[in-house]
Amino acid sequence: MDVFAASSLRDVLPDVDDAPRYTFAGSDELAAQIRDGAPVDLFLSASRAPVQELREARLVEAPVVFASNRLVVVVPAGDPAGVGSFEGLRRPGLKLVLGGEGVPIGDYAREALAAADFDAALDNVVSLEQDVKGVLGKVALDEADAGIVYATDVAAAGSGVVALEVPDEFQPEVRYYAAVVADGDREHAMELLERLTGKAGAAALRRAGFLPVPR
Amino acid sequence: MSRLFTVALWAALAAAVLFLLLPVVALFLRVPPDELVAQLGSERARDALRVSLTTSLVAHALIIGFGTPAAYLLATRTFRGRALVVSILELPLVLPPAVAGIGLLAAFGRSGLLGDELGALGLTIPFTQLAVVLAVCFVASPFYVRAAIAAFEAIDPRLLDASRTLGADGSRTFRRVALPLAAGGLGAGSTLAFARGLGEFGATIMFAGSLPGLTQTAPLAIYDSLDEDFDVALALGAVFVLFSILILLAAKLTPSWTRSSSGSPFPFARSRST
Repeated sequence: MDVFAASSLRDVLPDVDDAPRYTFAGSDELAAQIRDGAPVDLFLSASRAPVQELREARLVEAPVVFASNRLVVVVPAGDPAGVGSFEGLRRPGLKLVLGGEGVPIGDYAREALAAADFDAALDNVVSLEQDVKGVLGKVALDEADAGIVYATDVAAAGSGVVALEVPDEFQPEVRYYAAVVADGDREHAMELLERLTGKAGAAALRRAGFLPVPR
Repeated sequence: MSRLFTVALWAALAAAVLFLLLPVVALFLRVPPDELVAQLGSERARDALRVSLTTSLVAHALIIGFGTPAAYLLATRTFRGRALVVSILELPLVLPPAVAGIGLLAAFGRSGLLGDELGALGLTIPFTQLAVVLAVCFVASPFYVRAAIAAFEAIDPRLLDASRTLGADGSRTFRRVALPLAAGGLGAGSTLAFARGLGEFGATIMFAGSLPGLTQTAPLAIYDSLDEDFDVALALGAVFVLFSILILLAAKLTPSWTRSSSGSPFPFARSRST
């Protein structure tokens, strides 16, 4: 079975089920490949828009929310630029890296900055990356002063980076959507979906730092 | 039997031509011409083409400015370690661009080898147009330098000697004799290096990042547009095809190549055995 999944799920999915063949990338990029006919059975997206588009084109079945996540500000170990906090992103001259337009992590980050009215932070953006990996890499190499990624990415990134909290009032609703792909191996896709939303999946997701879906 | 052989040759040629032509034709079939023109007017496409053109031109000036004298030296003098020096200049040809990107970061990045020295001068290179220029120089320069060495080597040494015996010094001989004689080969290498530089992707995205209007070159914009503005990606792709055809035509029409029609238009450096 083939599964297309958001980059941020890279470490947790094999814990849930290591049998399928996983392809990890930005959800928007994966959706574009499914639109172009990639042979895949289940799509796990880090935001609603990519699944929604596929749903409207009748390429996937009705999506299910299976996890949520939080944003954090990520800085190189030791915070050499002295960002200090989410508010610190406004300081002029800071080198900030975000995901690009249409990339879920980029759109969520812009949502958080807009909620906080941090226009100055947007002026600090020096690069728009294709996915979480691009953002984390630039920060871990200490070329960028800060980036915005999911809380779960930081644990996976190791000791090169440190996370700073994004306050609750500015957190966007980060939701992960699962959708069975039309014309795929429906039986196995449903099986993985049940496992993901069941006890074992919830435990693995929790261990990796994902949050349960708020009711 | 020999007839069968000829048929096999033609079949192989037809397969190769079809395979190489199909993606290019498909690109144009997928975007209607009016849509293509409209997409080229989009801010995103114009920004990307502007960034590509400025950075490529600056990089190209650097490549020619440093590459020409360096190639002349290598073509006209023998010294210990010459083969090693030529190999170093050719190394980027065989290096994956992503490796070039990491290497450039490790050397010129903020926490790279020269990071502190550059920082003391107030220079941070990553995420700037200078980073794009350096990435292009690194990846494209061997295409020019190889062709330039070959072009200078092809000059009859007696002509250079004659120039000197007639009283011209080294610099004058270089400018008045060597450069005009090598012009065709230099032009060929120059167009090839320029085309390669325009298409640079891997080293740029790692070293310079991708910010529309600043560091997002046309190839980065094509990749970035794939998921949402597929039409922009196709339009930029089509522009690249047209541009590449122009470059090839320009290269084919360079006069010096009419001398031998069978050879590759891009002569490569020979190892020096004499």
